[in-house]
Amino acid sequence: MNKRLLCAAAAGALIALAWGAQSSDASAKDTLPIGVIFPTKSIIGQQGVQGANIAADLLNADGGVNGKEVRLIVYDTNYSPVEGVAAVERLITQDGVHVVAGEISSTIALAAIPVVKAEDALLMLAVPKHPDVTKSDYDRVFRLNTTSTMDAASFNDYLKNKIAPAKIAYLAENNDFGRLTLDDAKKSFGSKIVFTDIFEVKQSDFSALASNVRGSGADLVCIMASNPEQSGNLIKSMADVGYMPKRCLTPGVLNNDFPKVAGAAAEGVFSEDIYAPSIDTDLNKRFVTSYEAKYKSVPGKIELLGFESVWITGLAMRKAGTVTDTKKIAEVLRANPWPTPRGTVAFDKSGQASSDHVYHVEVKDGKVVATQR
Amino acid sequence: MFDLVLQQLANGISTGMIYALIALGLTVVFGVMHVINFAHGELYMVGALCSVMLTSRLGIPYILTVPIAAIAGALIAIVTDRIAISPVLPRKDGHALVLITTFAASMLINETVVASAGPGPIPSPGIGGWVLSLGPVALSAQRLLVIGVGLLLVIFLQLMLMRTKFGRSLRAVAQSAWAAEVVGVDVRKIAFLTLALSGLLAGLAGALVVPIVTFSAAMGSHAIINAFVIVVIGSMGSFVGAVVCGVALGVAESIASIAMSSDASSAIIYSLLLVALLLRPQGLFARSAR
Repeated sequence: MNKRLLCAAAAGALIALAWGAQSSDASAKDTLPIGVIFPTKSIIGQQGVQGANIAADLLNADGGVNGKEVRLIVYDTNYSPVEGVAAVERLITQDGVHVVAGEISSTIALAAIPVVKAEDALLMLAVPKHPDVTKSDYDRVFRLNTTSTMDAASFNDYLKNKIAPAKIAYLAENNDFGRLTLDDAKKSFGSKIVFTDIFEVKQSDFSALASNVRGSGADLVCIMASNPEQSGNLIKSMADVGYMPKRCLTPGVLNNDFPKVAGAAAEGVFSEDIYAPSIDTDLNKRFVTSYEAKYKSVPGKIELLGFESVWITGLAMRKAGTVTDTKKIAEVLRANPWPTPRGTVAFDKSGQASSDHVYHVEVKDGKVVATQR
Repeated sequence: MFDLVLQQLANGISTGMIYALIALGLTVVFGVMHVINFAHGELYMVGALCSVMLTSRLGIPYILTVPIAAIAGALIAIVTDRIAISPVLPRKDGHALVLITTFAASMLINETVVASAGPGPIPSPGIGGWVLSLGPVALSAQRLLVIGVGLLLVIFLQLMLMRTKFGRSLRAVAQSAWAAEVVGVDVRKIAFLTLALSGLLAGLAGALVVPIVTFSAAMGSHAIINAFVIVVIGSMGSFVGAVVCGVALGVAESIASIAMSSDASSAIIYSLLLVALLLRPQGLFARSAR
């Protein structure tokens, strides 16, 4: 009897699922699906997704794109190229998207490019920083973030001229981004670098590393860690062993979650960024207000890049008058400047974005405060 | 240099005790039920989540959240047992099936936490920010607490195992569930209590460790790998083995980090696992196990 009941319940559930799928298919006809990929189990990935959601909300509040409501299909890449490629394939071949937006990892971005190229889709990358991302021979790959080389040129000059350290320690996460940052630092500072170390992306206990860097006697410690759990725990561990030199994070990774993790040890940590939530423009105010209303926190740079990856895509589709012709959308993207919360963004021939401003950011009284440089 | 070695020794002991705390629950389940519980890391994560939520949302003092987190871990372990272990264990190839069902349960728990609480980070104040400095060596209060509780736990568990009726039943089931049943031990009850104990230990570990590592939904999956290594090297089912091997691995990692990069020193753990499996597959503490 129990088995019969179970079978009946299972059949009922299947019918309900099929009905639901049919309903969603019907509603999907009037929507524009845009694929979004991020490592959604990480904080930084969630920040990107939330930014993308706000872009979809604002585009839809303005009447959608070419008469269609923007609908985001979000998949987790889990910092794994295998999972990232599978997510992109599924988005294009099963979900029928023509544009894939988002992502944090350069490794995943580089792995996804051949898949996107094979399907004539467009890839609008949010965060990946490796220079090679926009050096493929495919003309429909765009990147919103600055590259690590662009960051190094700007930030390292600032460190040399304004901070003028005698001994520098560089600590970086073990990925392409981290290793590139170390290489750029060695080129910029030469023998002033007295200590370097690379840690795993999933490491959470930094007591040993903090003790080693204290032993180096560096008067400036620079940290390259994408996740605030890691940069925050590392700074906290350094404070635990009584080591508080000048401390900076490499550009673009100092956000509002960092002081939450590091606590009092975060005070005075500085960096550089392309975005500050205090920028006084109508679009930025709209972005920040919408984000705060939906997620009860202030958006940072990752949220902005997630936002831009969908926002600029939507604007370009409107201007191109098509949601499927990715070649035309790519041409329109390169040919026009795009208004975003950080100012105006333009793409060069390679698909690399640039914008108007750079901000000095620093933790003061537990908050990240920005001043324009 | 000597100062640095001393500091790394202290770091290694505290890091190793963190490993050991997570491994204790895993080893008891394997030792008694011969089950590899892939959801164990998520029980540790749930304990950490419970502690940070109670402190950050309800303002409950940290120290009071520790026992509550331990109970939460035990409850989730019981639920995991009911949905993913007990129904499949009696079947043919039940022990192999449990690997998959507990993995599924771990994903379910993790996705539920990500969907409801987000991936983090949620910091925990712990017992305070003060640091004990002895010459060149500095250790935070939270790390000292972890070391102290870890030592007390292993003494308590060892006494319980050797001196109580429950401990004797536990050892009897570990040696042979069939023989234990023949002499009147309620094997199902012991299995249930073992799972609850492992969840209790995992939840406790999560609450103790979270002020050091900060809560994130991924913390369980990261921690479980090292815990498995420790359980294998220290002999599956041995409390003393888990603590000694946990601390030894922590110290090895920390000392090695002086000479090599952090990511390379992590490879030490896996090298030791390989060597241990080749030379002494039953584990270093096999005699004292169970």
